[in-house]
Amino acid sequence: MSAVTTISARIGLLLLVWWALTEGDSSGIGFGLVVTALATVISLRLFPPAKVRIRPFPFLLFMLFFIGRSVVAGIDVSRRLLSPSLPVNPGYLTFYLSLPEGGPRWLLANTLSLMPGTLSVSLDGERLDLHCLDTREPVEADVRLVEQKVAQVFGLSPNNHFRQEGSQQ
Amino acid sequence: MQLVQFLQVLLLAAGCVFFAIGTLGLFRFSETLTRIHALTKVDNLGLGFIVLALLLGVASLAVAMKVILIWVVALAASATSAHLIARAVRSQDRAGTRGSERND
Repeated sequence: MSAVTTISARIGLLLLVWWALTEGDSSGIGFGLVVTALATVISLRLFPPAKVRIRPFPFLLFMLFFIGRSVVAGIDVSRRLLSPSLPVNPGYLTFYLSLPEGGPRWLLANTLSLMPGTLSVSLDGERLDLHCLDTREPVEADVRLVEQKVAQVFGLSPNNHFRQEGSQQ
Repeated sequence: MQLVQFLQVLLLAAGCVFFAIGTLGLFRFSETLTRIHALTKVDNLGLGFIVLALLLGVASLAVAMKVILIWVVALAASATSAHLIARAVRSQDRAGTRGSERND
């Protein structure tokens, strides 16, 4: 049942993409249907339907959070770049994630790359290595916050792992 | 209409400024990884402003979705390539310092 939902959601999404790409022109819809079918098959091969699925409404909230934070990220780096003393203190930090494998971890790693001061270097199992622009910033709290938001996108209950925001490594 | 055009000019200019700052990061930062910080985050913001400016002038909903799609795909590409470059740099660093002290 869950697989049927996933497949129809992907077909719907790809049709929407086709509609946007052709700017609403319906003359090429036959070709569009073939391409959509092929793309769906490829997507099922590459990303088989998983137990955890993206919930549309939390995802929308996540996008808003993401846009807000990425604006902060851009301004933060610009500010450091433009100040004459170049206030950076780069270094590596390692975190152990409590999110399940697959989509959730992938989304977290990629989101962190566009968040203020963090860049995902390697994701190996539950171990995530980050490169930080300034290790004096409260990176841990940031990572845990994004982790919590990602958990909400996939409808995972925030377990006690997410509640250790105040603790230091 | 005048106001919309004024806003568009403002947003486009802001976008270009951020792209310029991102490029400045290539020169001011000395390490590969800090340079990637500048390029991914600041360029992302620059593209965001330009997309916003274009969205104010679109003819239809489908064109608006196309512009947003471009933004989403560019974001995904930038995050993924940043991650790949960072991983390559890290493994090179590791290979270079093998035998000497390891600072993990």
